[in-house]
Parts: sequence; C-alpha cells; structure tokens
Amino acid sequence: MLTGSKSTFKVRQMGADIKERMLTQSGSNARRPDVSGLPCLPGEVVLRRAVMVRKKLTAREGRGWLSGTLFCTAFRVAFVPQDAPKPQDDADPVLLGDHDVALASIEKVVVVGPNRTKLVTPNSSLKFTPEELVLYCRDLRVVCFLFDRLTPDAQVLEITHTIAKTYQPVRAGCVSAFQNAALGSVEMKQFLSNRQRDAHMNWHESAADWERELERCGATGWRVSSVNDRFEMSTSLPRYLAVPQKVLDTELKKIFAHFHDGRIPRWCWRHPRGGSDLLRMAGFQNNIYHEKDDIRNLETILFGGHGNLCVVVELGDELPSPPDVQLAHARLRALCLGDISTSATVPDDKWLSTLEATCWLDYTRACLKKASEVARLLRGGGMTVALQEAEDRDMSCVVSSLAQVMCDPHCRGRRGFQSLVQKEWVTAGHRFRGRANYGRDNPKEEAPVFLLFLDCVWQLWSQYPWRFQFSDDFLLALHDSAHLPLFSSFLANSQRERCRRTQNAGQCYTPVNGGPEPADPPLPSVWDWSLQYGQRRQAGFTQPVPPAPRPLLNGNLNAQTDARGHQQANECTPGTVFLFSRGIFSSPAGLPPWRGGTAGVTAAAASISGVYRKSHRRAPSSESVPGLERLLKADAQRDPCRPLLPLLLGPCLGLWRECYHRGALHAQAFSHPPSGEHAHPLELLVREVRGLRRRLVAERRLSQGGDDRDAVTASAPSLPADEHLADARPGRSASITSSDGDGG
Amino acid sequence: MEKTGSVDSLGSKQSSSRHPSVDSLSSSERSTQVKAASMMSDSATSSEFSPEIRVKPKAVAKTFRDADKEELQLLPNEVVQDMAQEVTYFCPFTGALRGIVTVSNYRLFFKCTDREPSFVLDLPLGVVSRVEKIGSASSRGDVSYGLVCKDMRNLRFAHKQTDDTLKKSIFEVLMKFAFPVSNGLQIFAFEYGQVFPENGWKVYDAVSEYKRQGIPNESWRITKVNDHYELCDTYPATMAVPVNIPDEELKRVAAFRAKGRIPVLSWIHPESQATVTRCSQPMVGINGKRSKEDEKYLQTIMDANAQSHKLFIFDARPSVNAAANKMKGGGYESEDAYQNAELVFLDIHNIHVMRESLRKLKDIVYPNIEDSHWLSNLESTHWLEHIKLILAGALRIADKVESGKTSVVVHCSDGWDRTAQLTSLAMLMLDGYYRSIRGFQVLLEKEWLSFGHRFQLRVGHGDKNHTDADRSPIFIQFVDCVWQMTRQFPAAFEFNEYFLVTILDHLYSCLFGTFLCNSEQQRFKEEIPKRTVSLWSYINSQVEEFTNPLYVNFSNHVLFPVVSLRHLELWVGYYIRWNPRMRPQEPVHQRHKELLAKRAELQKRVDELQREVTNRSASSSSERAGSPTRSITPVQTFV
Repeated sequence: MLTGSKSTFKVRQMGADIKERMLTQSGSNARRPDVSGLPCLPGEVVLRRAVMVRKKLTAREGRGWLSGTLFCTAFRVAFVPQDAPKPQDDADPVLLGDHDVALASIEKVVVVGPNRTKLVTPNSSLKFTPEELVLYCRDLRVVCFLFDRLTPDAQVLEITHTIAKTYQPVRAGCVSAFQNAALGSVEMKQFLSNRQRDAHMNWHESAADWERELERCGATGWRVSSVNDRFEMSTSLPRYLAVPQKVLDTELKKIFAHFHDGRIPRWCWRHPRGGSDLLRMAGFQNNIYHEKDDIRNLETILFGGHGNLCVVVELGDELPSPPDVQLAHARLRALCLGDISTSATVPDDKWLSTLEATCWLDYTRACLKKASEVARLLRGGGMTVALQEAEDRDMSCVVSSLAQVMCDPHCRGRRGFQSLVQKEWVTAGHRFRGRANYGRDNPKEEAPVFLLFLDCVWQLWSQYPWRFQFSDDFLLALHDSAHLPLFSSFLANSQRERCRRTQNAGQCYTPVNGGPEPADPPLPSVWDWSLQYGQRRQAGFTQPVPPAPRPLLNGNLNAQTDARGHQQANECTPGTVFLFSRGIFSSPAGLPPWRGGTAGVTAAAASISGVYRKSHRRAPSSESVPGLERLLKADAQRDPCRPLLPLLLGPCLGLWRECYHRGALHAQAFSHPPSGEHAHPLELLVREVRGLRRRLVAERRLSQGGDDRDAVTASAPSLPADEHLADARPGRSASITSSDGDGG
Repeated sequence: MEKTGSVDSLGSKQSSSRHPSVDSLSSSERSTQVKAASMMSDSATSSEFSPEIRVKPKAVAKTFRDADKEELQLLPNEVVQDMAQEVTYFCPFTGALRGIVTVSNYRLFFKCTDREPSFVLDLPLGVVSRVEKIGSASSRGDVSYGLVCKDMRNLRFAHKQTDDTLKKSIFEVLMKFAFPVSNGLQIFAFEYGQVFPENGWKVYDAVSEYKRQGIPNESWRITKVNDHYELCDTYPATMAVPVNIPDEELKRVAAFRAKGRIPVLSWIHPESQATVTRCSQPMVGINGKRSKEDEKYLQTIMDANAQSHKLFIFDARPSVNAAANKMKGGGYESEDAYQNAELVFLDIHNIHVMRESLRKLKDIVYPNIEDSHWLSNLESTHWLEHIKLILAGALRIADKVESGKTSVVVHCSDGWDRTAQLTSLAMLMLDGYYRSIRGFQVLLEKEWLSFGHRFQLRVGHGDKNHTDADRSPIFIQFVDCVWQMTRQFPAAFEFNEYFLVTILDHLYSCLFGTFLCNSEQQRFKEEIPKRTVSLWSYINSQVEEFTNPLYVNFSNHVLFPVVSLRHLELWVGYYIRWNPRMRPQEPVHQRHKELLAKRAELQKRVDELQREVTNRSASSSSERAGSPTRSITPVQTFV
C-alpha cells in the first residue's frame, strides 16, 4: 500500500478558486448568478467546484445520467446541469435546486475509487482519485456523482475534501452556522422578513385563526380562550385554546394543575355529522386535591358542554413509545440505505424478514389502527372522544391528526393538511427540536415521530390516492424538509419557544451569557414552499386530477344525526365516561380519578405517570357499551361522511419506496432511455389543451389584427374551467368544507 | 377491530356486466339472449376482483335485471343438475351461512337464505381441484365436504345426512361435473354457446405476426415443414427458421433436440436484427454427443445478426439440474462444440419447486393472515424469489438483445415452461406491441399456446387426479411477473390488473376453449376454434373494462424492470382477493373508469382545438404553418 505518495488533499491549485471566491464575494449583491453558473443565494459563497461531473438520476428523475458542474458552498452541494436554463436575474432565491443537497442533510460522504470505496471524514486524506462521490443523506436519499476522466484530479480531490469538511459534523453550534450560511446574509434576512405568509391556510396562531377553525367545523358551544396568552398556565400549550363556552376563564385556570404540564383537555375537531368532538389531553395529575368546583368544570370540558358521553381513548401501551420509534427508524434507515463503504447490505433473500424486524411497519399499523378506531367512534354523534397520552405531545399528535385526515376531506388537500399540522403538531407543542435532534446533541430525546406520521399518511394515500388533493411528492418534500434545521416550524418544542425566538430576532437580541453568537437569522416556515423548491417541483405537489367532489353536506347536519348515535346518547345516564383501551370499553370507577369515593387515596397511589391504572377497570356497567362497540364495527356503506379507513392486514401495508428507496444503489445497472417528463397522461393532455388554446388565441390576434379583442376575451373565461384540473384549488375546497359543518 | 364489520357488506352483492366472469358470484347477469355488447354498456364496477362479497352499485338499474339479482342466471346450454336445501357454507370470514346449493354442468351456486342482505357464491366447477369428504357422519348426522380450489381458496360445506342412502349427496354430483374428463363427460367449453361480437380466434395469425416483425427477410424464412406436426408434435405448423437451413437439415437438428423442439425464432429486433430464439435442451447425454447440424444451425443464427459475433445461450435451469439432465440423455451446449457461444445458467427452478412454493403461499394467505409475521412468512415461501429469478433472467435476455445487440437462444429442458416464461417476458420488455391488449393476446397465443405450453397437464382441466406431478403454476407465475412489470411501469401497459385476473380466472373456468389442450396439434384435432369460444372474444367485446387509463403508448421504449426483491410485491389483488379485509372501501376500478372518461373528454377537446388551429392557420395563410405535433411524452415509471 502506498503511503501518502500520491496526491493527497493538501491544497494545491488554489489560485483559481480564490479568485472565484473573491468574485462572488465582491459581487454579492443578491441573487446574482455566480460567474461559474450557479445561481447563488445572497451571500452564498462557492467554496469549490468541479466540472464535467455526471449525476446519477433516480428512477423518479428518469434514470440515466446528467452531466454538468458540481459546486460546494457553505450551505449546499449543488449540481448545475449543462443545459440548465439561465435563471432570471430578478427571480426570488430558491434554497435548493432540483439537484442540490443541503449540507445539513448529508449523513456521510463516501468515495469510490478504481477498486475501493472509502468513507470520507473531515480528517481523512485520500490516497486515490475518486471516480464516484456518493452522498448519503439523513432523509434517506443517496446522491451519486460520477467524475469524468476529464475532470481535473485536483478539482475532484478538493471538492470531496471540502464537502467532507463542511457538511455537518457532530459539533456544537453547527446548526446555527448552517442557518447562517443559508439565511444569514443581510439581503436574505431582509428578503425573509418581507415574505408573505400563505393566507389560504389556517396557521392556528391567533385567536381569530382558532375562531375560523371552530366556524369551519361548525363547533358551536366552544369558544377560544386566551387564558394561556403568556404561557403562564402551560408552557407547552399554544396561546389560544378551544374550550366549552360554559366554562369561564377563571374556572379554567384552576384546571391546569390537574394535568401533566397543564395540558388540559381541549377541542381539536368536530365531526361534521352528529357533532362528536375530538379532544386531546395529557395524563391526570393525581397527586393533588380535587376541589369540587374544579371537578365540575373539568367534567364540563370533558363532556364538551353538550354531551352525556365521553370516551377516553388511551394512547399508552398499544402505540410505540418515542424510543421505539427511534430504534425502528434507525433500523429502517440502515436497511434501506445499505452501505457501500462497509458492503453490509442485507441480501435480497433476507430483505423481507429484515424489514419485518425493524418493526417500522408494525408501528405504522398500530397508529393507523388506533386512528381508525377513533375515526369510527367519532361517527357516533353527540359525544366527545378524548385522546389521552401521558405527555400529550407525541402519539396524540399522530392519532388526532390521522383521525382528521381520515374523516375530514379538507385535511386531504395541501393547505388543509398544512393547517392540520399547524394545529396538531406545531402549535400543539410536539417537541420538534428535541425529536429531530438537529444538533446531534440530545440523542435521548431523538425520535422521528413526525416521520412516522408522514409514513402513516402515505399508507393511507397509497390506498386511496384519488381521495387526496396533494400528491405523494408533497409528502416527500415535507419529509425532506423535516431534516433541514432551517424552519421555525421544526426548530422549537413549543409555541412559546417559537415566540421567544421571533422576539429575539426582532430586537437583535444577543444573549448575555452566551458568547459572541451571531444574531439569529429570521427563520421561515416550512410552508413557504417557493423558498425551498422551484415552480416545477411545487406544481407536482397537487395531483393532476383532484378528488371528485364528495356529496356536500348542508349546514344542518345535526338534524340528521345517525340514528344509532342518537339512541346511544339517549341511553346514557348523564356523564358516563368510558375508557377505551386495547379495543375494550370499560367504565372504571376511578375514571376520571376523582370519581368514586376513595378518589383521593386511589389517586395518590395511582401513578406517577399520570395515567390511571388498568386495575381500576370494572365490568362495563352501562348498556351503551354495545352501542359503542357497534360503532367500531359497523361500516355505513352509504354514509357520505364515511371516514377513509385504511386496510390494516399485513399485506396491505407497504414500504414507502419513493422515500426510503431513493438511493440508486439497488437500481439495476442498465441505463434507461431518459425521458423528460413523468407527468400523468391526463395532466399532459390538460397542458396540451392549454397550449393549444393559447396558440389559438395568438393566431386569432395575428390573423385578425386589432379588431379581434372580442374573440380573445370570449375564449378567455373558459380557461379556468380546464385549468382547475391541474391547479387544484385548496382554497376553494376549504370554503366548501367549512360550510359543511355549519350549525353542528 | 378493523373491518370485521364488512360482514354487513355481505350480501349486497354486485352485479357485473361481465357475466361469464368466474368470480361474479351473483352474476346478476342478463339473460343469455342479450347480446354481449349490450352488457358492456351498463357495466357496473367492481374493481376488486373478489366477488365473494360485493356491493351492488346503485346505478345499475337496467330493466332486464330487476328482481332476481342474486338468482342463478344460467349461461347458454348450462343445465342445472342438482339442488339441495339446507346446506351450510362455512365462510372463513363471516362464519357459517345456511342456504341452497345448485350444481349445474358449469358451476356451483350457493345462495344464503338466512342472512339479509343475502349472500351468494358462484364458483365455476373448473376451479375445483379436489373434493374431499371430511370425517364420517357426525353425531348430528351432518356430512361435510371440502372443496380445494385452484384459485387460492378452500370452501367447506356441510349438509344433513339423507336417510335415503341411495340418494347421492349433491357434492358427489358435483364431483362428476367438476371432473368431466375423468368421468367421460365433456368440458363445458364445448357446450357453451355464447355469441360475442368479436371473434377471438382471429386475434392471432402466425404469418401476419411474423410479417409484423419483418419476417421473412434475407436471413429468416417461414417454414411449413411442420405443417402436419411431423417434425415436432408440440410445435406450431408455422415457424420461422434461418434461410440457409433447408428443411431436410431441420429434421436432423430436431433429432438432436429434446422432443424435436429445434431453435426457432421468437422475436427479431427491428433495427439490429438480433434475435430471440427458443428450443429445448440438446441431447448431449453422458457421453457428450455432438451434432454438426445443430452446431451449424446455431452458427447460422449468430451469423444472421451482423452486429455481433457472439451468441448467448440462456439455459433457464440451475447448472446442477442441467448437468443432472445428462443422465437422462439431455444436457447443455458445451462451449467447445459451439464456438462463439456463451452459455449462461439462469437458476430458475423446476415445476415441482414452483408448485410447492405456491402451496406454501396459499397456506399463509388463506384464510387467515398472521399480521405480526407476515413478511417473514412470505419470505419463507420463496415465491417472490422465484418471481425475481424469472424476471432477472428475462431482463438479462432483453438486455443482451437490446443493449448488446446480440442474438440469444433460450431453453430449459423441454422448452415449454421456463423457456416460455423467459421469451415472452423478454419480448414484453423489448416490444411495446405486446404491451397492448391485442398484442398481449398475440404474445400468449404465440409463445404459450402455439409453442406448446402444456396447459392441460399443468392445470389439469376437468381431471380429478389432483396429485398429478405435472401440475404446476407456471403460467400464473408468468402473469405475476407481468403484473410486477405493470407496477413498475404503470403507464406502459394498455391493459389493467383486472385483465390479468380475468385471464387467470378463465385459465381454470373451462368456459372458454383458449387454454384447453397441450399443443396446437391437439387443439387442431379437437377442433377447438370451431367448437368453443375464445377468451379473447369475451375480452375484446368489452375492451374498456380491461383498459388501463394511464396507458401512454410508448411502444418504442424498452422496459428494464428493477428485479431486486426490494422492488417486488406480492400480488395481493390476485392471491389474497378472497379476504374481505383486503378490500378497500372504494374500488380502484371505478376510479380508473372515471379517469378513462376524463381522458377521452380531454382528448376530444385537444382534437377539436387542433382542428381549429389548423383551420385557422390555413385560412389566415400565415406561413407559420405546421400543425402542432402531438406531443405526449412517455410517462416515466417510478419504482
């Protein structure tokens, strides 16, 4: 073996590059394409580039190869194909081009030489000139670049080394360094602060947002309370909570203490038919004395101010815990990425059993199952279904949002889905920062619960793609964005943290005790898609043919409540609470814990976790249990509000290949004739219709000169009619659904 | 706690227009006089092909089928043979159901009488593989019968022991008609008298198919040497062979190839002239016999393709098996004897291994599925692994022909099982014509039927000998491979999943003559085209049922599927279709139809606009002439 004789990394041929860098820096007045052809972000600096590089295209991109130039900046590895169209000078900056990889999403860098592969770390030196550069990404992409013989060796070595050095190694502060590389320039900050938020979605941040949601769902009897305005009642809950009108803020205040971290039961969603409400809450805080008034108010909330029946759905032991999810995901990642540096790929004939052993699919099944049970219960009418999880910040996010995706067509549109994630995850206080662990400094908390949720949505999507307005590519984009530490949505554990951060940024606040930390750049929301992706990619977020409009419900839904639901609500003695766990309904005396004579004692002994014990369960005491069970089993075939229920048998759950198998490693070696587009044939037809129309208009104008105005305008109004095929109108679908629930 | 509730969907069965469909349990079909064409119009849908339980679409309100939707509708010349009341059907998904069983010369029809809405089971007797009496008469006087079916399900019935010992149980009557061949009766296909607007027997004509491929040309000719099936009784009358080999020499080659199955042309590349030829193993034997004529023959095949000076011989078997065949006089081409030829073994196992694998698969999918170990159970059947090996073999063949511009010879032992799988799959990859509905029918007629895949033996039509070692799911496996390709290239095939399922259903149903007999010669002798109806008559009379809405005709593309196990899936729509918990609440089929309609509407619009544009540019006589070219780019596949 040669030792250090050949060209190692130690820099040579620096001259040209330095010049290049000077050029970009001096001319860094926003959005100017770099001299070398890379459209840079304001302030972005090209560290290295290599010419005559070929990028291996995935199946989705058409397979084959694309040649162009490879760049490494402090923010990303960028690839510009030879024949890429010149970007317009005044275009808004887009963080990532079609072929780019953000440095922060790189997990490891591997090079392939003539007959060896090597993992490249910041400190390693290469003793051979790589022929291939493979980037393994955290979001499970595998990006592969091939160097041509004509690529200068020095460029190859330098860019490899630079990438290895600049991508996010595990060290403190790397997250903010990365943010600054992307968004830190003055121009970028200014640009970001001028961005308009998408007004067509519900951000669930202001009181008005929540009012809008209550109105959309027709949730009468509920109001928006600002009792947590300063996060004094609960640090992890949002500012505004939807609670029953009957409960006053002063009464409400006393309830917080009864729940873990003050996460009291609060309204999430109302079923458009029958008006069952979905609530979520944390475990009971049992070690305090329950005052009579508190209990009364608490019960008012639990019964939603209208019903007699409350089913508490326990999310504890049937669902995976965050460490379970983390372990399963780690296994899945190892399985799917393979690893050419260790050649430890699972052999094909063991693939299925190894996949099974990751448990990932079992966990998606468990979540989907629980959510479909909740969705079925919600059809009951006139009751509340309260999801209870010890902390109310992980699985209850998954289950409540999944149940809404199943029941509410609005949530199957892109903006509706975004609103849902805002409501049940972002503002509800899912610990995104901890769970994502961008800085790799908190392995204990790390758990991709949100990714598990996306997988569940994908399972549902793949079973009923035509019932969704968004495409799987949208889910994929969201999946990938969740791996970038750039978005305010994913960088905080609660609304409170997010608010603090924006305040700080606004005042250019520098921490007193912290070192000379640079002022944080203002962070965009993940929903600002045009910041992240080009128009073409975004166009693929909606399906070419939107879901057929469902039979609309008129506003007066409660009038035609499901007979069964009615009956059952009437059967009930006022104030019945059932516990639903492991598919069984029970009505334990100690549920809620303050019920029953010995409440205090039991409660004290009950549990530290805050979730009551199973031993309290008693034989079902009420005749409404059969009614509930029927609800779980029955499939109302002709119910227009029938939830979209996933098939859960083993063979029905699949692996999200487009996401986990994007690596080119398993694709076979034969090249495929690359074809430009991979659009739905319908979409192509739509485009053709549109193109022809335009052509026709132009022809008319030309042939008839000025006197043709009429003809042009006459044909114009019919345009939108076709275009709605391609451009979905989530805004419209929102208004449709909002009218559904009126009067509920 | 999932959809146990589907019970209630039980009886609202559906009606489907495709009346002869095996599955349509409740063939609410039209009276037999109604022309097939009219049935298509009101086709209801049910996408999922598992008709055991179906939901009746509201829309179906044709006058001629109002009341008795779940009544038995006899086909032309179908005759009821026996009927029994008070029979219990033990449905593995919904429990015991009581009802009436009717047995005709074509089917078993069970109608449940104690459930509302009612439930029907409509089973062509052809799918029954075995009828077994379970246990002796129990204390309660019940006798129980199990029906093992060829289509991945088992049915169990019971009825009271009759006092009259002379009277046969209805299931003994059934046995007679389920196995007509063993009982000296006629298969129902010979009696079925339906008239369809299309004649499926005209779909395939060997000469015109060769003509489509450009044969005859300067290197290949069509020979009639086998006109009376004297050269080889399992080959068709019309074959394409190299021009330079006279018929006399063909006979000597035939002597050296097992069963006389000489190398003949399956497909020729329109540009490179690289060919796919198929044959059986050479009769090398232990002593390493050689045949000068055979060697010359393969050399001629190689020479016919000027692009390459090499010939690839793909032996489908594992090399061990190929070597073992020498003991029986067979073997493989030695590279010494065949210069410039390279021999490749494709490691595909024999019919017995495949049969066993499918049996294991049936065990894990019917009736119950163990969720927690589903994937490892699936792995232990090795079914997907076999699928992978077959696809991988076909892929290598297609790649050699397309990318290597090299001619290939494919064989296994006899050249009618694995060889048929490989050549037809490779042709499907190479030639877009075979990916159309008609083209696929031609492919089956040519590579499977005319070249003598032994359907009668492999399926055992009407034969009670269920343990026959010649039975094997070779054709199912091929259709599975096709389905895998449709999954990877959703826009490349004109037909949909329902088309494939229908073909498999009628592989067993014995309703159509298409899959009867073992060879062209037998079919000719039995006058199958005269005496039976072709499956393609039925399919081509209602093509839209079988059309894939996503189809974009990109016939010039060669498809190279990914054959890693990571990209293959179990075909649940076929193997697990009987399980009601596998049935989505909304059928895909319906959606597909909507898409087709939308597509047609848009296409019409495009054409109109195009015409308008052309007219306009013509009238305005602007020199920017040239009508817009139809520019539909092929749809790329995702894997």
